[in-house]
Amino acid sequence: MSDRTQLWRMAPTELAPHEDALTRFQAELERAGGSSVSVGPGELVGEITATLAAAGAHRIALTADLGDARPVIAQALEIARYDVVDYDAIADDRAAVRDLDATVTGCLAAVAATGSIVTGATGAGRAGALVAPTHVCVVETRRLVDGLASLMRLAPRLGAGSMMALQTGPSRTADIEKTLIVGVHGPKRVHVVLLDGVLAD
Amino acid sequence: MSEDPLTSSTFAERARVQLAKPFLREAVPRATDIAVRDLRERFAGHDYDGLRELGREIRARTMADLEDALATLTDALVANGIHVHHAADAAAAREHIRRICRESDATRVVKVKSMATEEIALNPALVADGLEVTETDLGEYVVQLDGDRPSHIIAPIIHKTRAEVRETLSRVAGRELPDDASELTDFARERLRDAFMDADVGISGANFGVAETGTIVLVTNEGNGRMCTSMPRIHIALMGIERVIPTLEDLSVMLPLITGAGTGQLITSYVSMLSGPRGEGEPDGPEAMHVVLLDNGRRALLGTEYQEVLHCIRCGACQNVCPVYRQVGGHAYGWVYGGPIGAVLTPLFLGTEAGGELPQASSLCGACDDICPVKIPLHDLLLQLRRTRVDDGAAPWRERLAAELWAWAWSSPRRYRVVTRIGGGVVRVMAAAGLMSSLGPLGRWARGRTIPTPARRPFHSRGERDV
Amino acid sequence: MIGIRGGADTTRGGHLPDTVALFPTCLGDLVMPDTVEHAQHALGVCGLDVRPVRGGTCCGQPAFNAGFHPHARRVARVSVRALAQTTGPIVVPAGSCAAMMSRHWVGLFAGDRDAELARQVAGRVVEFSAVLATHLDVLERRHLSWPGTAGYHDSCHMLRELRLSGEPRAVLGCVRDLELVPLASADRCCGFGGTFSVRYPEVSVAMADSKLDDARSRGVDVLISADPGCLMQLGGRAERTGDTPRVIHIATLLHEAGLR
Repeated sequence: MSDRTQLWRMAPTELAPHEDALTRFQAELERAGGSSVSVGPGELVGEITATLAAAGAHRIALTADLGDARPVIAQALEIARYDVVDYDAIADDRAAVRDLDATVTGCLAAVAATGSIVTGATGAGRAGALVAPTHVCVVETRRLVDGLASLMRLAPRLGAGSMMALQTGPSRTADIEKTLIVGVHGPKRVHVVLLDGVLAD
Repeated sequence: MSEDPLTSSTFAERARVQLAKPFLREAVPRATDIAVRDLRERFAGHDYDGLRELGREIRARTMADLEDALATLTDALVANGIHVHHAADAAAAREHIRRICRESDATRVVKVKSMATEEIALNPALVADGLEVTETDLGEYVVQLDGDRPSHIIAPIIHKTRAEVRETLSRVAGRELPDDASELTDFARERLRDAFMDADVGISGANFGVAETGTIVLVTNEGNGRMCTSMPRIHIALMGIERVIPTLEDLSVMLPLITGAGTGQLITSYVSMLSGPRGEGEPDGPEAMHVVLLDNGRRALLGTEYQEVLHCIRCGACQNVCPVYRQVGGHAYGWVYGGPIGAVLTPLFLGTEAGGELPQASSLCGACDDICPVKIPLHDLLLQLRRTRVDDGAAPWRERLAAELWAWAWSSPRRYRVVTRIGGGVVRVMAAAGLMSSLGPLGRWARGRTIPTPARRPFHSRGERDV
Repeated sequence: MIGIRGGADTTRGGHLPDTVALFPTCLGDLVMPDTVEHAQHALGVCGLDVRPVRGGTCCGQPAFNAGFHPHARRVARVSVRALAQTTGPIVVPAGSCAAMMSRHWVGLFAGDRDAELARQVAGRVVEFSAVLATHLDVLERRHLSWPGTAGYHDSCHMLRELRLSGEPRAVLGCVRDLELVPLASADRCCGFGGTFSVRYPEVSVAMADSKLDDARSRGVDVLISADPGCLMQLGGRAERTGDTPRVIHIATLLHEAGLR
């Protein structure tokens, strides 16, 4: 067997020693067509609201993995006259799911080397981060892991439930004459809000 | 099903049809070049060969005791509340899936692109049962609407122009859609969204099955894999038994290999790791999950000189670099798998009667060996298949006679000199008289190329420098 | 592959020149004898004592690749035995034949009465341009010149089985006034593939066209290769379409550049 401790030398999906995780995460996400911004706890709600406004979203679902921050965000969005629902309350209502303009989720982890966010069936649900044209994901920076190998080591302890998904930038296809089209069955816009703090605050 | 192209035509005939399509010969090289270029870019500064070797080791170790890995996988799947079904062949796999659909009173099925479901010709069987089946990968959707076949493992409509796609989707729309890839995609998205929401059953393949955790892994870019395994109340995954990998740690090696070799991406937009039906307290997901483990000729390859073909992770990279595939596309190969991997898999899965010609349809350049993310020695496997065909007496008599005559003449320096002197004269005379087309293989050479005229004084007769 | 070095410098030192055997291969012998002579001269200029191999015919590759192993063995045996009579490195001016001999003969003769002989002979095989690449100083001193634009086509087996790609290019780098332009399709098969070329002529020709189109688009006057199989394919196609570029062996280019 080859030595896997140096996987980073072979695989671009790992972080090199001393490479800055946050910088790499943001660069890879951008390369994949997503966007991100770092905020402090006091700026979180404002950033989410501004993103949704820029996307022209109106009907918004919030997923359970936002934890204690969910009611706070919900209240702020309602004050700003958004139509806000909990994703778990409407997940079985297909018409309601179809009508969503955006979803706001948390995440279980984020992978620095690939610019991926990781959601679980227990939190964002299988489709909470997927169904709406705009997805805003709140990533606490403490949840950043270096690369795929670290994520896979951690995976059994993340409590993802029946599904764990890595999601990297918007949905895309190049099926028609190799032309890259963004936004097929998943979101067209993916914006990650990197929170220097803890969501439960 | 339509007539089987493999048995009703030859590779040469199918290739001729494809060669006559100018778009194909422009589009396939362009698209495959992009994939290869992106692969090189993504791995710049990294040791792709080292990672390929890790991938090869994982696959070889798993195949060395496949039954053990499958037993572990099965136990873990069952422990996760997943129903596991074993299918010895295509018919058995179809029957399992039909039964599951029947027993769950399904009427609508959505599908994720899957080579395994193509291999067992699943869709016609489901349609015959009265089910409404919708392919949800954009390319596969177009293929389905056209009654066509995918022509590349991961880029199913690589052979179609935007104009053709527009025509197809406009027919479905009942109006002229704009000639714009983005708007065509938007139209398909809306149509398929209805299909997802209304479907009872979602059927997928499996890029990997992780034995230790009982997890089915799906790798997609469009997000249809996620939708098909989130919205319908039943999820069925059809997995070739060789797609098992032992651990999650192995997955961290296999993922960059499959996405890098497949599309040149660091990682695809979506990687779904499915470990059961919707759990307690989860907001969405299917109420039941089934995994159908497909043998269909795979076990028979264990312990043979062809075992390494089971390492294949269906990334399509060998098609991207194959100089033959780049000219003729996937349809020329006549079955589900095209390119070098198809030329090896088809005779092994379907038998030499149907697929025996395909290993000949290679110039043996070896480009596939150099790119394969799990280092399958495709070049050697093609040679072995050719050899077996000859050893089994399956080569046509003309070929056997030619080999005999050649070996007789070439195995004695004296005969070699006499025969080539006479032959050289004949060729020179025939060429001068414009009669080359009547000279069998030389005539076929003469289609498009001038015959190299044998020298009047071959090197061996330039005696003054004799030693 | 074994390295060889010596030649001109050592002869001046009073040593005997190193002896090499030159195996013309059947295509070289029958169709491109001038090219083999060019190779012979080039090796001689490098100070090597070149002994053309008589009595061999072919490496057996056409039958080997078509799956006819007993036939390939019958033919290769003649060459193995003839080559066993020679001493020193066996120089082969044909990339894929060199690959067949050094990489596949051992397997082809496994368990055969000539297995040991085949193993020994295979171990002495060297490809022509790889030999010249060890004498770049000699080539530099010869003030070779060939005014024009050239593309180099990698023979598949020379590239992928022998891993020789820098060597022929380094040799061409010694030719003044020759502009070697990189071709996007340099390492893509020309479509020859032995029996493939007559089994599927249309596909084979289409492959040649894509290579020739690339060379033309780069304004190449001459397309150079180190493999007679590729040359026959590309040259035959270029000639039939009545168009450029000229397609020649690296030894012929060196000859025209003044290495004689």
